Amino acid sequence: MNELVETIGRCVERGKINKASPFPGDMKGLDGADELTHQALEAGTDAEAILQACIAAMVRIGEKFGRNEVFVPEMLMAAKAMKAVTEHLKPFFQSGSVQAKGTFIIGTVAGDLHDIGKNLVSMFVEGNGWNVVDLGVDVKPEKFIDAIRKQPKCVVGLSALLTTTIVSMSKTVQEIRALFPSINIVVGGAPLTMEIAKEMGANGYARDPQGAVRWLAAIREAS
Amino acid sequence: MTDQQWEVLKKVVGGEAVKPLPVGFIVDCPWLPNWYGVTILDYFSNDGVWFDANLKAISDFPDVMFLPGFWSEFGMCTEPSAFGARCTFPSDEFPFAHKIIASVDDIDLLTIPDPRTDGLLPFMLNRLRLAQPRIEEAGHTIRFAVARGPLNIASYLMGSTELLTAMMMQPEKVQRLLTTITSFLKGWLGLQRETFPSIDGIFLLDDIIGFLGKEEFRSFGLPFFKELFTTDVSIRFLHNDAPCRVSAPFLPEMNVNLFNMGFDITLAELKELTGDRVALLGNIPPRDVLAGIDKTKIVDAAGKMVNSLQNTTKVVFSCGGGMPPGVRSENIRLFIDAVRK
Repeated sequence: MNELVETIGRCVERGKINKASPFPGDMKGLDGADELTHQALEAGTDAEAILQACIAAMVRIGEKFGRNEVFVPEMLMAAKAMKAVTEHLKPFFQSGSVQAKGTFIIGTVAGDLHDIGKNLVSMFVEGNGWNVVDLGVDVKPEKFIDAIRKQPKCVVGLSALLTTTIVSMSKTVQEIRALFPSINIVVGGAPLTMEIAKEMGANGYARDPQGAVRWLAAIREAS
Repeated sequence: MTDQQWEVLKKVVGGEAVKPLPVGFIVDCPWLPNWYGVTILDYFSNDGVWFDANLKAISDFPDVMFLPGFWSEFGMCTEPSAFGARCTFPSDEFPFAHKIIASVDDIDLLTIPDPRTDGLLPFMLNRLRLAQPRIEEAGHTIRFAVARGPLNIASYLMGSTELLTAMMMQPEKVQRLLTTITSFLKGWLGLQRETFPSIDGIFLLDDIIGFLGKEEFRSFGLPFFKELFTTDVSIRFLHNDAPCRVSAPFLPEMNVNLFNMGFDITLAELKELTGDRVALLGNIPPRDVLAGIDKTKIVDAAGKMVNSLQNTTKVVFSCGGGMPPGVRSENIRLFIDAVRK
């Protein structure tokens, strides 16, 4: 792998977004994912190679998160660095030279304004090569349904942090399921377990962003 | 809380063995309105309904400590409202506050709210003041000054993702925000204590702590909680039902002496992480088990929890986090019986 591509991957893993970003401290003043991706593409580097290096970086940071070596702020920074890369890669997605794996519609369910889990999953899934439609927080079932109508082959992700919004999540799953019986729905959030996910009628449960990425890969392979 | 319950709680925190084993729950709007059979909006907007729901809880379960006890609150809107956050109150869903900080530069524009006059705080305090004679008539005393913690309030004011990334990108701004909120909280807790001299405990709720690594916690959590908990009250109670393995070793340094955690950690591990210097309130799974329909699960989980401990001092047996929606009275009784068997 070319050195520049490796460095881009390292920027993603460390959460170095761009030169102006003071984080991480030991990379202050250096070019970040934004500048380096631009330089790599200008130099004719294959967009797919950059994407794969960044996906690998996201996997590494996700594994560190799973081992409690890094925490949510570092994950968010890595995801932001990844976003800086994908902004440059968008034209290649659109031209078809880099293929999106599918469409993933995600939102935090009605009554819950927490966005950490939703944003992390959204950014990790996007970083993994999916087209992500992020509906935001406090999303009512109708909004999910409207979005699904526009992308009927999508996969849906529902997030909640509050124990109190599990009822709302369950209602959202039921309303979606009533109109789209075969759609794949994955749920995640602090108050959830696999058992609760099954009870509410979801197809999957993801404990963390990496879990969501793995679950999406599995259903893609199965389809 | 009754005076007797308060004395028991102080004994537990002091490490004394207590018989029967103490049972307690954090109860507030996620559980009480539904359990009492009223809408959440009625619970918030009708002082009589709020009082009666709380009174029924303490009457039905006289041997359970309900913490903080007659909690006058407006859910997650309580403190953010004082900063000017728009608050949404659906009729039978939980209220929430909208962000007021669109960019970190807005932090400089924040002023410290006056808890006597701003947002929902005067309503909250006055409701409790008006109810005080009846609370005392029922044999209970107002014991806790209560508030959401500084990180939790900050996350409502600016969004949790924005708060956590700002910690990395513009840490000095986040420090300023947390300093402002902490000043406000000191005033708010102080006002509660001044209004009710019987208060002898501080209760802060903050689950954003759980998202931080050690270094972030040292910078953005520890100093502010330490400042708030460094006060001359008997019980210094913290709730964080998000992950707590990073912050738990700091609880003694934060001056916390009672901690309510989530259910993803055992009491034994927490005793080890805190050097058994902090009393614990927990922690069977709230939704899967305590609110569930399988009665054997409640009995098993309670029994397993008690038996997992080499000694049962410094523990108030409860669920992880607060009482969740949908817990029936019979489940609470099963839990009490199982703990005390």
